[in-house]
Amino acid sequence: MAVELKTIEHLCELSKLNYDEDGLKKVMGEMGDIIGLMDEIKGFDLTYDDTKDGNEIRFGDTREDVPAESFPTEKLLANAENTDGCYVVPKVVE
Amino acid sequence: MDLTKAKIRDLRKALDNKEISAPELCAEYLKRIDEQDGKLLSYITVTKEKALSDAENAQKIIDAGKSSALTGIPLAVKDNICVDGVRTTCASKMLENFIPPYNATVIEKLNAEGYVLLGRASMDEFAMGGSTQTSAFAKTRNPYDFERVPGGSSGGSAAAVAASLAPAALGSDTGGSIRQPSSFCGVTGIKPTYGRVSRYGLVAFASSLDQIGPICNDARDCAIMLNAICGADAHDATSARVETPNFTEKLGQPINGLRIALPKEFFSDAVDSSVKACVLDAAKELEKRGAVLVECSMPGLKYAIPAYYLIACAEAASNLSRFDGIKYGFRGEGRTYEELIRDSRSRGFGEEVKRRILLGNYALSSGYYDAYYKKALALKQEIIRQYNQIFESADVILTPTAPTPAYKIGEQDNDPVKMYTADICTVTVNIAKLPGISTTCGYTADKGLPIGMSIIGKRFDEQTILQIADAWESGFVPLAPEL
Repeated sequence: MAVELKTIEHLCELSKLNYDEDGLKKVMGEMGDIIGLMDEIKGFDLTYDDTKDGNEIRFGDTREDVPAESFPTEKLLANAENTDGCYVVPKVVE
Repeated sequence: MDLTKAKIRDLRKALDNKEISAPELCAEYLKRIDEQDGKLLSYITVTKEKALSDAENAQKIIDAGKSSALTGIPLAVKDNICVDGVRTTCASKMLENFIPPYNATVIEKLNAEGYVLLGRASMDEFAMGGSTQTSAFAKTRNPYDFERVPGGSSGGSAAAVAASLAPAALGSDTGGSIRQPSSFCGVTGIKPTYGRVSRYGLVAFASSLDQIGPICNDARDCAIMLNAICGADAHDATSARVETPNFTEKLGQPINGLRIALPKEFFSDAVDSSVKACVLDAAKELEKRGAVLVECSMPGLKYAIPAYYLIACAEAASNLSRFDGIKYGFRGEGRTYEELIRDSRSRGFGEEVKRRILLGNYALSSGYYDAYYKKALALKQEIIRQYNQIFESADVILTPTAPTPAYKIGEQDNDPVKMYTADICTVTVNIAKLPGISTTCGYTADKGLPIGMSIIGKRFDEQTILQIADAWESGFVPLAPEL
């Protein structure tokens, strides 16, 4: 199945991804094949009924809303670049 | 000590009887890794110093006579399970330098047992793949043939166990990522029921499908590992409030009268004839031992691949939206916030991860949501219904784990469709939240490559699939790879 350029560009926007010209051509072809495979599902003639989505698994109850010690700030910031006690991002005002 | 195919329980005896100390055992495995892993590439990070320190601590517990099943046992852990202070990369450039500030719940549980962390096993990037060739750091090879893939995404875990570079390992399974590499590498791996094991600290791929589980040399060791890692967890709202049984309890019990279903669609022409014959021979052998074979059908299998990929990728697109290069992870360049994020993601993620994000956003986007995502959810309901129907007349289901034995590296690199359709035998188990175990049922006649079969159980009935896998293994002689 062929996928239009504008569809791929829209998906790149939603996905926050960039491709150069060659990369875009390549991924258009691959996505065409993948979406062709996904299209097989259209042959399945049933409609999703969320009222039948009852889950028999009893999952854990939500925790009590009790204040507890969190992770130390310096440990959380250890993986970020350019930290000075804060996450540093580029200037957005030009 | 000969570590070839060493079982956890044998190592336990040796440690408790003081035939070997925990630091000596750890050093032996580290030596094997040092000698063998250069060509196998099963580890991304070998945590030598931590391993030796863990082993010293374990020895103190053993000396005090307080050891439990995994005290002093060296393990490999897939590189998407957070270990406090130990680099956890998900085999992605995006997390190349990420050091988690906390332990996954499974790691806390293993710590409570006094385990020894040998290192971080390689995997497909963000667990997306079936070959471990999308790993940004260690493209693992199959120990039975270095020109072939080990399977994936937990390929490093499976290869390390098969090559005796760890007696057992943790993996994760979203669509077959424990079972398929176990099949390709000739080891035993179990995906527990969804909710059986806490996912807290497992880097999310598809949250409704992901589950952590062990890869070991046999089903008995899998049961020992499950005993250590299962249980409800306040940090994971999707961990189930169910009693955790003793998973070793039914091992060794006769399988007389147990009904094994063989859904015909899993034995279609899409499955290699050598695989089909091997699995059906194993079924006949189990029948000789008293099991009852039941013929059945699962017509929904026809649509399982699109249903799985639409659900998994939709969830992945959402889960991976957190990687923006700000709080942690690879940081790209850009004059604006938007440019920074796009550059970070475009250069931080590999090609397969990007394809799946694009597919996920396609399935969720306006105009396509009903036609793809909701249809996939309808199919999920139908697959659950069909499994329930089969379980009305069967205790377990037997299928091939993968349509083929391990294939050559590069064979599927440029063909995502071929790669996706190869998951046909495993994905429905995740969709239906069932437990499944893969064990070796034979080897190909020409190349001696392992062939795996999967035993699928009812929700939370890991005990029966372990019992049957163990019964099979008790009469099967596995062949260790020649490294």
